Amino acid sequence: MIKLKGMYDSMLRCIISEDMDASDFSKEFDEVRGKGRRFLPGAKVVLDFGARPLSEGLIRDIMTDLIWPAGMYVAAWITYDAATQDLLKRIGLPTSEPAPSVRANERAAGGALFLQRSLRSGQRVEHSGDVIVAGHVNDGAEILAGGHVTVLGRLSGLVHAGYNGDETASVVVRSLEARQVRIGTKIGSLDRDERWWGKMVIVRVNEGSVFIDYWPMIKSDSRDESAG
Amino acid sequence: MTARVIVVTSGKGGVGKTTATANLAAALANMGKRVVAVDGDVGLRNLDVIMGLENRIVYTLIDALEGTCRLNQTFIRDKRIENLFMIPTAQSRTKDAVTAEQMIEVCGELRKEFDYVLIDSPAGIEAGFRNSAAGADEALVVTTPEVSAVRDADRIIGLLESMDKSPIRLIVNRIRPHMVKKGDMLGVSDVLDILAIDLIGMVPDDEAVVTSSNKGEPLVLSQSTPAGIAFRNIASRIEGKDVPFMNLDATDSGGLFGIIRRAILGH
Ligand SMILES: Nc1ncnc2c1ncn2[C@@H]1O[C@H](COP(=O)(O)OP(=O)(O)O)[C@@H](O)[C@H]1O
Ligand SMILES: [Mg+2]
Repeated sequence: MIKLKGMYDSMLRCIISEDMDASDFSKEFDEVRGKGRRFLPGAKVVLDFGARPLSEGLIRDIMTDLIWPAGMYVAAWITYDAATQDLLKRIGLPTSEPAPSVRANERAAGGALFLQRSLRSGQRVEHSGDVIVAGHVNDGAEILAGGHVTVLGRLSGLVHAGYNGDETASVVVRSLEARQVRIGTKIGSLDRDERWWGKMVIVRVNEGSVFIDYWPMIKSDSRDESAG
Repeated sequence: MTARVIVVTSGKGGVGKTTATANLAAALANMGKRVVAVDGDVGLRNLDVIMGLENRIVYTLIDALEGTCRLNQTFIRDKRIENLFMIPTAQSRTKDAVTAEQMIEVCGELRKEFDYVLIDSPAGIEAGFRNSAAGADEALVVTTPEVSAVRDADRIIGLLESMDKSPIRLIVNRIRPHMVKKGDMLGVSDVLDILAIDLIGMVPDDEAVVTSSNKGEPLVLSQSTPAGIAFRNIASRIEGKDVPFMNLDATDSGGLFGIIRRAILGH
């Protein structure tokens, strides 16, 4: 199914359901064009494919059967499939979530991307604001964020916070199981036998180096093995 | 009849897809089901060899798709097990010889004649995986307990999820009981923790697998080999029976059984 939703800045989000059969695309395109006859021409739209991989042929079909005839302007093509992102970039299409025009100090509230899923190997999220993952980031998955990154589950994949060089960005994770964390232009690396491995930590840049710290303690925490 | 169409797949190659397809097909047929195993690994075919049917190939799936023969002329009936059939593929063609639409059509036809259609697919990161999986409802993902195989399995599970296959269930193959847990080897509970899908079976590393595939004899017919028992149990679970898991993961100190119960029962 394809759904259209309003976003900030009068932008529309066109959500192409992950479980929709590829053979239903052309029928669904017709329907969206019909429904959007009045408001789609000239509209700014984010196409959201979830984790669906797109082939070159499908991208072409989407352009010729949906975007061009509907007269819409695509601000971003969103898919978590890393190979598809690379393909889209090679073609020259925008792949990162457009940033809303909010003041910098509101970034966390306005521009955060909240992902209610885990990212599996081969999936990548690129976002100009903060990213919160209510799931795991598995080995082979990637997050590129302009701002902070919070992972409520296990981080085994690659996170790059503040990828535009913002070294005030931080990475907060429930269980750090990644060999590397990137912030701004800095790379922090970690071995499996270090005491931070598997712990709840905050990763930050301090005086040019990557530092790891435990989460703030509360009374009920028992952290005996890691204390010290 | 309306068959369940199940694709047997993996991220990494050589982890036991073909072995699993052949043995599960034989076990399900042995339970009285009408089963066809389809070789979906064009160009790297070996399901026929493992099932011991290679000398009886006349037509392949590709011949049927090209209109050289009818689909049912490609069926090879297994003489040892009633109700077991296989459809071979061509060795001399590339993965793009079969399109997704063709696979969907073939599966649609097979659905009418069988209880189970099992598709042996190429490894997931190879071309052709999507096509061979296109006609399936369900998926079995095979992995070994190695870090690299698990990471590739994770990737394929992501793809299968986006193709709306359900259920997607896991077979952990080539487990060595009492294996030294070090470096690149993971325990089954670690594998489950990472992949977060339901486990349908654990298969031990077993010499008998190699000897039986060399002889082209399904392992599940012999009563006592550990891998044969494991594959029979998986077939029963596919049939919806509640078969307890063997404890192969002696290195897991936390008690594997509890963890696996949680994975299956969801608590
Ligand atoms: N449980 C097992 N114990 C021992 N050897 C195995 C087992 N499963 C598979 N093998 C061997 O591993 C090799 C690859 O298996 P195969 O089924 O052809 O993998 P795939 O189809 O995934 O490429 C074969 O030589 C097979 O005999
Ligand atoms: Mg094979």
